[in-house]
Amino acid sequence: MGNALFIVWRESAEAMLVVGILYAWLRQRPDAATGMRYLWGGVAAGAALAISLALVMLGIASSLSGNALDYFQLAIVLVASGLIVQMVFWMRRHARTFRKDLESSMARNARAANWWGLLIVVALAVGRETAETVVFLYGLAAQKGGIANLPIVLVLGLALAFGTFWLLQQGSRVLSWRLFFRVSEMLLLLLAGALLVSGIEKLIALDVLPALVDPVWDTSRLLDDSGRIGGLIASFTGYRARPALLPLLVLIAYWVTMWTFLGRTGRPAASAAKPATAPTAGAAREPLPRAEHH
Amino acid sequence: MRAFLPMSQIPAYRQSLVLIFAALVAVPALAAETPLFKLVARDGVFEPTVIEVPAGKRVRLEIHNEGKTAMEFESRDLKQEKIIPPGGKATVTIGAMKAGEYRFFDEFHEKTGQGKFIAK
Repeated sequence: MGNALFIVWRESAEAMLVVGILYAWLRQRPDAATGMRYLWGGVAAGAALAISLALVMLGIASSLSGNALDYFQLAIVLVASGLIVQMVFWMRRHARTFRKDLESSMARNARAANWWGLLIVVALAVGRETAETVVFLYGLAAQKGGIANLPIVLVLGLALAFGTFWLLQQGSRVLSWRLFFRVSEMLLLLLAGALLVSGIEKLIALDVLPALVDPVWDTSRLLDDSGRIGGLIASFTGYRARPALLPLLVLIAYWVTMWTFLGRTGRPAASAAKPATAPTAGAAREPLPRAEHH
Repeated sequence: MRAFLPMSQIPAYRQSLVLIFAALVAVPALAAETPLFKLVARDGVFEPTVIEVPAGKRVRLEIHNEGKTAMEFESRDLKQEKIIPPGGKATVTIGAMKAGEYRFFDEFHEKTGQGKFIAK
């Protein structure tokens, strides 16, 4: 039972982190009502994605066979990683300027573009790991006498997930807004980095990219990434006890980039606009508020 | 800076090109002669727990979940992750290993579900 609950919590923690932080952040905004609609829309879409993925994993739906599921999951982690980073940039920009933005209704309209980005990032965060929870719970229910256990695990698991969400909301009340924002930004960036590493590793496993040197070092005696604690740290930070060179280089490049654009508090907004100028992503269309040009 | 565009900002047609290219690379590799090994998982018990494989050769691993609960075959050393429902099976292809040990585990039963490859 303890193990089952731990797994349900672990698999939901990523979704709770993303949803919880965005919820706390949106609540502070004057246009919270609109944002919340997209947030919950994302949760609903994520649930639908989770169930369809779970059906594929269970072999009930076989529309995605063999490697196709691998590539689909690969696309999910990479897109989720990119969108989380974009979300952090977006939050950073608006944390500093949204009061000014609101004075111009044009800026308000433009901002709507990123609501879809928000919806997608929430849907992916919810859908990805929840699919595994669904398969896990299915296995539990299929067990002899498991049906009896299932409601208990479900209720307690949901309570744990909600507890995580509640803790995040308390955090946003107890901590100063600035500190809460810093911490959640860091957690999101760590998660995006972990997703990026996992995406690169999937590409290596699929033979698309070379590992270069594998492994570069071995710290499994210090912190094993196959155990409970180490495994959790690995999924949320990209830590590997025996990293291959390519994902390691990518992770280093990722953090250098993040530090360059977000680390120096003086001018994050001016640089934040650049990655957002490409056509597809929602936030991209948002013009840089004039106030940001010094 | 452009190099750091998130995946979502790459045009869709380019993304599909990447996938097609990946498939072209992966398919011939699968077709080549690769030794097949079998692993049975039963609710956190692997059988065998140690698999000896030839070093420097791709191998395929057929995982049978004969347990009553779902399992997730995972190896951070070998970058593998596969969820298998009870009664299900899956085959993963693992790139050539240098001589050494490579751990794998069942992420849903990580306390007892631990095993390793020994490449010789």
